[in-house]
Amino acid sequence: MSNNPLLEPIHGISLEDYSAACAKLGSGLSEEAIAKVLGVELPVWQEANLLWPERMKQDQTYEIMTLFGQYFAQAGQHPKFSNAVNGGAEDAGYTAQIKADKDFYQELEVARNVAYEYGLDGAQWIADKYGITLGDFQIAASKWNTQIHAEIQADFQEYTQKQDAYNAKYRQMFASAQGGNVADDITF
Amino acid sequence: MAEEEKKKTLTYVEKLKQQALSQTNYGGEIPDKAARMEIRDCPNCSAGRAYRDGLTNCAYCGFRFMDSKLTDGIHIKKDNNS
Amino acid sequence: MEELLRQTQERWFVFLEKLEVRMGEMCNAAIPELKAIFKEDQDPYKRAHGRMLAGLLGQLRRMQDQANEVKEDKILGLIYSSGVFTSNDFREACFNRHYAFEKRCHDYTSLLREAAGQQDLEAFYQEQLASFALIKDQFTCKQCGGKIAISKMFFIATYVTCLYCQTQNTFMPSSGAQMVLHNARSLAEQRTAHLLKIYEERQPKDPALYQQYLRAMFDQWNQITPDMEEENEKFYLRLLKDNSINHL
Repeated sequence: MSNNPLLEPIHGISLEDYSAACAKLGSGLSEEAIAKVLGVELPVWQEANLLWPERMKQDQTYEIMTLFGQYFAQAGQHPKFSNAVNGGAEDAGYTAQIKADKDFYQELEVARNVAYEYGLDGAQWIADKYGITLGDFQIAASKWNTQIHAEIQADFQEYTQKQDAYNAKYRQMFASAQGGNVADDITF
Repeated sequence: MAEEEKKKTLTYVEKLKQQALSQTNYGGEIPDKAARMEIRDCPNCSAGRAYRDGLTNCAYCGFRFMDSKLTDGIHIKKDNNS
Repeated sequence: MEELLRQTQERWFVFLEKLEVRMGEMCNAAIPELKAIFKEDQDPYKRAHGRMLAGLLGQLRRMQDQANEVKEDKILGLIYSSGVFTSNDFREACFNRHYAFEKRCHDYTSLLREAAGQQDLEAFYQEQLASFALIKDQFTCKQCGGKIAISKMFFIATYVTCLYCQTQNTFMPSSGAQMVLHNARSLAEQRTAHLLKIYEERQPKDPALYQQYLRAMFDQWNQITPDMEEENEKFYLRLLKDNSINHL
């Protein structure tokens, strides 16, 4: 464990608590419910919620940010939240799949970005189509990011080929849902 | 021909606008709430929540409102631990 | 061969021009709509405007993709297949035309992004100050009904003690006040944008000018949200340190 003083809990709320809370906020849990799970009242939670990002901004080593990402990815295992939310139910369906299947995550990550390119709220589109909340999507992102970076380093070409194929698939899909792109009729 | 293409472009832009407007924002609309005052009575002795020696415990029966150790924050300080 | 090059170049120019015309039509139609949607959008984050803008930028990108594909296939394809026989004139003319097209895309991107202008954060802030002044003396203790004056604008839920019965009430600020906190840095940046511009336009870059800007921006920020001054100053020191490293 590091001696970084910026890692000291804020009002008793540790970085692990805070990271899990953020993940749960992204899944639609209210601030009141978060405060209750953490055993504090709303003013206390809101101060911690303001001060943890300040600590990240002050930390030149990026240690807090890195740990935040790790804890965020493990939010499902946080003892305080795992019992309080969904009665501790395990992830199911696509939510379980996106955390277990890296390719599925990478494909949906592209789909989500392409949705934005076609004027849709990508996060909402993922929620509507797959029932995956923004919080769970971000948990999957934190989980897979290190591995994806390693893959890009190892074989950039393979990575881009895969991304290009996903991009082509979803651009085609979203475009045809809108009756094509503005300049589809212009050819060489 | 050029006019027809122009019309198609206009329709596209209009459709894009309608689509942007008709979607719900993720997490729903953000309600515009007025400022308000709230209070919490002690669930144990039902006394109003008075400040005597701190924020974390009930001033009358000692019930623990919060299971946390307050530190120096923005408005809430270390001294606010009961 | 000459003839093929001439024809290809001509078709390439016509193709890009058609795309540019379409791009212009789309942007001209979209700019007033972007302004309108920005004004209409009740969401504090202006997300409907954001979606429409993203959709338009996506279409610009599709046109760039179209040009890139044709360039790859028809222009580079011809250059590679004919090898040494391709004149430099052909290559240069086609590439320059593509460069001009890309420049157009870039200009239209900026036009679309800037169409709606910035959110007037100053006006919003002044509105919030005014409405806080109206309500600050109107709260009463939930326990004894005694008057509780809210001493300053709070941006998050805060405990306030009743002076008469010592009851801890919780003051919940309005959504607008919470947005002030959210927008505080952006508002401070809007107020000091002229100083940043001076720094950015000066060549060579002068770190003293950046520091001047940064100090002024943080002074404004602290003035908007005084409760955050202590934390802001720590962040300020960090940025100052980063900046001196960048200027080494």
